[in-house]
Amino acid sequence: MPTATINGKEVTVPRGTAIIRAAAMLGINVPHFCYHPALSAPANCRMCLVEVEKARKLEPACYLKVTDGMVVHTESEKVVAARQAVLEFILINHPVDCPICDQAGECKLQDYYMAYDAKPSRLTTGKVGKVKVYPIGPEVVYDGERCILCTRCVRFCDQITGTSELTVVDRGDRSEIRTFPGRELDNPYSMNVTDICPVGALTTRDFRFKCRVWLMTSTDSICTGCARGCSVHLDHYLGETQRYRPRFNPEVNEYWMCDEGRLSYKRLNANRSGALRVGERDDLSWPRAARMIAGALADAQLQPDQIAFVASADASTEALVAGHEYALNILRAGRFYWTGRADGEGDAFLRCADRNPNRAGLVHSFGEQILERGADRLLKDLKSGGIRALFMMSSALPFGREAVEELAAEARKLDIFILATSHAGSLSSAATVSLPVAKHSEQTGTWVNIDGVAQTVDAAYAPPGVAIADWDVYRRLAAGADAEWPLDSVDAIHARIFSDEAAE
Amino acid sequence: MAVTVTKIPRPDRSLWVQSYVPEVMRGLSITSKQFFKNLFTKKDVVTIQYPEVKRDYPERYRGLHRLMYRDDGQVRCVACMCCSTACPANCIHIEAAEHDDTSIEKYPAVFVIDELRCIVCGMCVEACPCDAIRMDSGIHTHPFYERDTAFFDKPALLELGGPSVAHQGGDMKGVQGHH
Ligand code: SF4
Ligand code: SF4
Ligand code: SF4
Ligand code: SF4
Ligand code: FES
Repeated sequence: MPTATINGKEVTVPRGTAIIRAAAMLGINVPHFCYHPALSAPANCRMCLVEVEKARKLEPACYLKVTDGMVVHTESEKVVAARQAVLEFILINHPVDCPICDQAGECKLQDYYMAYDAKPSRLTTGKVGKVKVYPIGPEVVYDGERCILCTRCVRFCDQITGTSELTVVDRGDRSEIRTFPGRELDNPYSMNVTDICPVGALTTRDFRFKCRVWLMTSTDSICTGCARGCSVHLDHYLGETQRYRPRFNPEVNEYWMCDEGRLSYKRLNANRSGALRVGERDDLSWPRAARMIAGALADAQLQPDQIAFVASADASTEALVAGHEYALNILRAGRFYWTGRADGEGDAFLRCADRNPNRAGLVHSFGEQILERGADRLLKDLKSGGIRALFMMSSALPFGREAVEELAAEARKLDIFILATSHAGSLSSAATVSLPVAKHSEQTGTWVNIDGVAQTVDAAYAPPGVAIADWDVYRRLAAGADAEWPLDSVDAIHARIFSDEAAE
Repeated sequence: MAVTVTKIPRPDRSLWVQSYVPEVMRGLSITSKQFFKNLFTKKDVVTIQYPEVKRDYPERYRGLHRLMYRDDGQVRCVACMCCSTACPANCIHIEAAEHDDTSIEKYPAVFVIDELRCIVCGMCVEACPCDAIRMDSGIHTHPFYERDTAFFDKPALLELGGPSVAHQGGDMKGVQGHH
C-alpha cells in the first residue's frame, strides 16, 4: 500500500489508485472534466493536471497512479496557471451561451471558469460554428458548440450500457459527437449521458428549458418506477417535481437510472386530487369524515367475509403496516387482495420486470399468500358477489382502461367503497368515500427494493389539498371509530416493524 | 424583567401660546400672504397643473416595463429567467419554449409582469444579459380598476418596446459567419 503526500497531508491507498481518488480521500477536490469514477480515464481534457515532485512536467491526476513516497501539489502556482490555460483553450470555441443553457448553475465549465480563470477572452479570430440542436436520440439533444469533447458520453455507451452508439467524428476543432451511421442514442439508459456531461452539450428533451436549476430545491428520494427503487435527487419547484437525477448509491443503482424511471416523476404531478369526499359531501374535515365512515361501517353490520381490503405494492412499508393493522382490527376485513402495476420489461442492469416499488413491504405486512390474490381475482370475486364493502389503498392497477371501467362499474354496486387515492379518475368517482393521500414525494416512507435494500425518504413538499400521508389515514380512521390505535407516528410504526423483524 | 419608565417632560408653553387664537392668526396670515402673492404675481409657484402639465422626468426614471425586439421584430428576450430570479417582488412569470428558428433556440412563450406587485426597483433591467427588458418607457403605472388588467403580457410589453441595437450575446464580431 503506497503512501503519498498531497498538499502536505499523508494518505495511504491501495496500489493502483489514481492521484485524483487519493486526493478525494483527503477531501481535496481536483478539478476535472473527462474523469468519472465509473468510467475509464482517457486523460484527454488536461483539467486535472497536478504537480508531482521529481516529475519533469505536470501530470494528469485522473490517470497517474499513486506510488510510495510521491509528493503532490494540487493548488501550486504552476498548477493554477495550467488550469487557466486549459480553460482558456476550451473556451476558444465555446459559445458561452449560458443564458439559454440549461446547465447554467450546475456546469463544471462555469464553476471552474469562475474559480480559476474569470478573464475576458483574448481571442480575435472567429469561433467555429456547429449544429446547436442536434437530435442525437429520442430523449436527448446534442449541442456541438457547447461540447468540450471529454468523451464521457461515448465511454458511458461503451462501458456501462455496452451499446456503443456514440463516437467522435471529424478532427481538431471540428470534432463533434455523433452516433454511428444508422444508429440513434436510444438505449433504455440513454438519458444518463446528460447527467455525466460536464457542460450543457447534452440535454434531455423532457427537462429542456423547463426550469432553471437554481430555482429548484433538491430532496433525496427514490424512483418508484420498478422494484429496483433507484436512489434519486428529486428536484422540485413550487410544489411540483421537475426532474429526477440518479443519486449515487453503491447498493442499488451506482450512478445511474433508466429513462422510463426518470420520466416516471410525471405521475407525481399529473391529475392529482387533494379533495376529501364522503358520499356527496366534499366539505368535510378529516375527523368528521372519519366518524361518518366508522358510523356507516357499523350500521352496515357486515360479516368479515363480506369486507375486502386491497393492499398496494406501490405504498410505503409504513402505510402497509398501518393498513394491515386497520384492516384486521378495525375494518375487520375477511378477504385480502393486492394490486400494483403489471410486469414490464426487465434487464440484467437496473430495470426489474416487477414495476412495483414495494412488493417486499407488501409481503412483509400481509404475508406471501396475498400475492395469489391480485386485481384479476378481485374483479372476479366482485362479479360473483359476496363482497359488500371494499377498502382500497392508493395504487396503480395492472390493467387497461376497459378493465378499470369494469372494476369501477362493479364497485358502484357495493354498499361501501372506500378508496384512498392520490389521483382523480373513474375509480375515485365510483367510490362512496374518496380519501386523498400523498405521493412518495410528499410523505415519509420506506420502500424495500428487490434485493431487500430499504430506503426511507422524506417529504419534499406538501401534498395537494387536504391529502395526508398514507399511514396517517388509518390513524384518523381509527380515531373516528374510537378504537385503540398503537401506530400513531412514523416512529411507532418503525418500532413495530423492527420488533416484527426481531421476532422472525 | 423590571419595567422601566421614561418620563418625557411636557413642552413649556407660555400663556400666549396656550390661548391658541393668536398663533392661529399668525399661521393664517402666512398662508394668505402667499395666496395673494401667487394670485397677483405668479412668481415662485411650486405646484403644477397635473395632469395637463407634466413634470419632466429624469432620464433614468423607471416607468412601465417594455420588451425590446430584434431587427426582425422578434422579441429579444431569450427566457433566461435572470430577471425573474432577481425580482424581489416575484412578479415576473416566464414560460420558456423552443423556437422553430434554430438560430434563436429559446424564447419566452409566455412573459407576464404583474405591474401592481412590481416595486419598480429596476433589478430586472439590471439582470438582463440581452437588453431585452427596459423600464425607460417614461410611463408610470396607472391605477387599475380590475386586478387582471395589471398583468402585462408579452404583446402588451412589446407594444411599448422598440428595437435594440445592442449586440445580442455580446460582441460577436469575431464569430465566423457574423463578419
Ligand atoms: S457531449 Fe458532454 S459528455 Fe459528451 S463529449 Fe461532449 S462534453 Fe463530454
Ligand atoms: S430501474 Fe427501476 S427504480 Fe431504477 S430508474 Fe428505472 S424504473 Fe426507476
Ligand atoms: S422593477 Fe423590480 S419588482 Fe418590478 S419587475 Fe423589475 S425586478 Fe421585479
Ligand atoms: S433577463 Fe432578459 S433575456 Fe432573461 S428572461 Fe428576463 S427579459 Fe428575458
Ligand atoms: S480529468 Fe484528468 S485529464 Fe480529464
